[in-house]
Amino acid sequence: MAGLLDRERIIAPPGYNRWLVPPAALAIHLCIGMAYGFSVFWLPLSRAIGITAPQACPADAGFFQQLVTVTCDWKISMLSIMYSLFFFFLGSSAAVFGGWLERVGPRRAGVAAAFCWGGGFFLSALGIRTHQLWLMWLGSGVIGGCGLGLGYISPVSTLIKWFPDRRGMATGMAIMGFGGGALIGSPLADLLMRRFATATSVGVFETFLTMGAIYFVAMLCGAFGYRVPPADWKPAGWTPTVTRRAMVTQGHVHVHTAWRTPQFWMLWGVLCLNVSAGIGVIGMASPMIQEVFGGRLIGVPGTLADLTDAQKAQVATIGAAFAALLSFFNIMGRFLWASASDFIGRQRTYAVFFLLGILLYASAPSAGRSGSVALFAGTLCVILTMYGGGFATIPAYLADLFGTQFVGAIHGRLLTAWSTAGILGPVLVTRIREYQLDRGMPAAQVYNTTMYILAGFLGLGLLCNLAVGPVAERYFMAESELLALRGGK
Amino acid sequence: MTQDTPAGHPSPASWAAVAVAWVLVGVPLLWGIVITFRKAALLFTLPGT
Repeated sequence: MAGLLDRERIIAPPGYNRWLVPPAALAIHLCIGMAYGFSVFWLPLSRAIGITAPQACPADAGFFQQLVTVTCDWKISMLSIMYSLFFFFLGSSAAVFGGWLERVGPRRAGVAAAFCWGGGFFLSALGIRTHQLWLMWLGSGVIGGCGLGLGYISPVSTLIKWFPDRRGMATGMAIMGFGGGALIGSPLADLLMRRFATATSVGVFETFLTMGAIYFVAMLCGAFGYRVPPADWKPAGWTPTVTRRAMVTQGHVHVHTAWRTPQFWMLWGVLCLNVSAGIGVIGMASPMIQEVFGGRLIGVPGTLADLTDAQKAQVATIGAAFAALLSFFNIMGRFLWASASDFIGRQRTYAVFFLLGILLYASAPSAGRSGSVALFAGTLCVILTMYGGGFATIPAYLADLFGTQFVGAIHGRLLTAWSTAGILGPVLVTRIREYQLDRGMPAAQVYNTTMYILAGFLGLGLLCNLAVGPVAERYFMAESELLALRGGK
Repeated sequence: MTQDTPAGHPSPASWAAVAVAWVLVGVPLLWGIVITFRKAALLFTLPGT
């Protein structure tokens, strides 16, 4: 079994078709991308005991009591801590195991990711069955979170080596899958929960078991589909540009050296600020469109507060539809922007994200005031393409600056920026909102200041991006070092 | 190793495998996109849009 997973076993033979690798990567990313869709479980789980309505815990029930209680239902706020666990363990595991991945190859990492993500679902199912929230957090949040990190970075280095001529497009295809996972997983979970629900169960336990099995098998198929190219392989008929562009190196920086360069930290800032701003918008999008347009969304005059409960429900449905539309643009941005970066360059692509982003974030409040839902929705859709594009373009940016030898491991370390943004971004946006509401600002106007602050984030991101220059020669590995490393594999 | 010889080119049969692999990942993704668009279609039926 061990031999099957070894890097040496998956070196592609001559004539291997490199277009087989992106679907393998997509298979893994489409599975782990369900992390974005976990909110589909919150409502059913919040009435896992009460079945028809939540069975509230006593007011004096403490944090630890809520983790082990079997007599009252979990609060949605407790369940949604899962997202913080996802982000934290995704970034941490990618940073810690990135070097290991480069040594052992993508197949072993993909198999480990399948065990963590699929196994996490099974452990969570046990937690749901026994109504132990801590077990669910441990299963999907901690172990599953490690599977997220491993699965996310597993194909990056391999794809970049297979597509030296189209680095952005190749990683864009895989990372598009991470955005698309929830598009498949959420409706599938919804179907399964309805299928398994009975008078005594909300059907989430069986849904977790089923989805865990599906994801485990699909991820194993993806992992066994990975092939690595022989060292220094190049596509037939392709030669690297003779006139070397300053921002695209032919050398390689070791992962242990990369984080000592200013370029690494500038890119860390670029990713963290782009993601923080994007997460801010994702979190606000649905309530924002409802509160900014209120009754106009259903052809009724008045603000959201003036509507009846039935009308509010109609408006909430439109808010959910808007969130769905944004997720589509998030996915498309991953592929399109990353592919575009192959032609216009990574630094210019991020400059577009930040400059156009500042313009759009700052004009979103005016678009809302104009009363045009189409203009407002269009503005946010373009913003979301750039949020997704930021994730998908960063691996190619790293490969350009630091070379391809350790790009997977370096990418893993850079993903701590995502963890940071995933935890700090929503907290910051919530605090800004609460601060303004406490000062008596109308709900519909609260978003304006937040959007201006997020535009400020992008301004900082632009400065970080502008500060990125070619990596100094002293950081690159010597030819002998590289040969020893490759010979040792 | 630069595979610029004919032996380095993918065989025609390998393209069938590529098509199957892409269908396997593409069909679920397309299903998800269709469902998302059905949900989002509500936005395009709003008064005044």
